[in-house]
Amino acid sequence: MAPSDIELVDRARNGEPEAFRDLVVRHQRRVYAVALGIVKDRDLAWDVAQETFVRVHQHLAEFRDEAAFGTWLRRITARIAIDVLRKERPSRRNDVADVPESVLREAAPGVLATALGTDPQETVLRRELSGRITEALGQLPETHRAILVLREMDGLSYEELAERLSIPKGTVMSRLFHARKKMQLLLAGYAGIDAPAGGGAP
Amino acid sequence: MRCAGAAPLLGSRPGELDPTDEALLRAHLSTCPACEARQADLLALSGLVQEGLLAEASLRDLSGLADGVMARIPASAWRGAPAGPLGRLLSFLRHHRVLATASALAPALAALALYLYIGRTAGPGPAGLAIEVTSEDLAAIVLETSDGPVILVGEGSDGT
Repeated sequence: MAPSDIELVDRARNGEPEAFRDLVVRHQRRVYAVALGIVKDRDLAWDVAQETFVRVHQHLAEFRDEAAFGTWLRRITARIAIDVLRKERPSRRNDVADVPESVLREAAPGVLATALGTDPQETVLRRELSGRITEALGQLPETHRAILVLREMDGLSYEELAERLSIPKGTVMSRLFHARKKMQLLLAGYAGIDAPAGGGAP
Repeated sequence: MRCAGAAPLLGSRPGELDPTDEALLRAHLSTCPACEARQADLLALSGLVQEGLLAEASLRDLSGLADGVMARIPASAWRGAPAGPLGRLLSFLRHHRVLATASALAPALAALALYLYIGRTAGPGPAGLAIEVTSEDLAAIVLETSDGPVILVGEGSDGT
C-alpha cells in the first residue's frame, strides 16, 4: 500500500529526500494545474510549481498534521502564483463591485445549461469545452482568473477568498460572477451555442 | 431584489450567504426565470474549470519537475534532520503532542496531587497534642509535633 501524505511528510522531515520526491511526484499535476490556471503561461506555471515545492520543503516543519497536505500545498501554490502575477504586472487591477444590467443582457441565460444539461457528467460537449478551459482562462483579466481558479480548484469559501485576496466579501462575489459570466460567454462561443451579441472575449 | 443585486449571489454555496440575502435570493429566483437560468448555467459549468486544468496538466510531461525541485534543495537541508531512532522519537512526539505534554507533566502533577492529598488528610497536625506520662517520681511529657514525638523529661511531682 502506498504511504500516506502524512507518512511521506514525516519521513521527509526526518531527512529522507526520496520521501519528499514522492510527495512532489504525487502532487505535481494538481499544483501545476492551479499555477497554470492563475498565471496562464505554461513555463511560468512550471516555475511556480517548482518554487511551491521548494518553499514547502523549507516550511515542512510548520505543517500541522491535522490539516490536509494537498490543501496546504495548493494554498501555497495559489499564493506564489498570485505574487508572481503582481510582480509581473502590478499595474493591472480589475476591481469590480457591482454587476451592471448591460452585463446581464450579454448572453441569453441558460443556453449552456440547456446544451450541457445540469448533470455534470461526461458528455462530448463537456469534454470539448474542458479542452478549451485554459484558452478561455487566458482571456480573463488576471484578477478574475485567480479568483475563479481558487474557487474551483481549491473550493475556497467567500470568506477565505476575501482573506486570501485582501478584498471585501462583496467584491469576491461580484468578481466571481463576472469571471464566470465571461467564461460562459467564451465557452458558448467556442461551442457555437447562441453566440451572444456583444459577448465573446472581454 | 433586482437581477443586478441577485447576480453576485448566484453560485453561492449553502450557508455562505447571510440569512437575509439567502431569503431575498430565493424569493427572487422564484419569480425571475432569467436568473434561474443563470443559476442553471453556473451549475452546468460546475467543475469544468477543474477538469480542464487537470486535463491540460496531464498533457504536459512533468517528469522533470521533481528533479528540478530536488536540485534546488541543498544537501545540508537533509543532513540537518535527525535520522534513525532519535528522528523517529522526535517524529512520534511531534505527532502526539498531547501525549508528550502529558508525559512531561505527569511527575509534576503526581507530586502536586500527593501534596494536596497530604494537606487535606493531615489537618493542622498533632503539634498541640501532649501526652503526659508519670512514673514514680519521674514525669515525662510526650509532645507530638510535626517533626515527630518529642519527649520532655521533667522533675517528679515531689520536685526531684
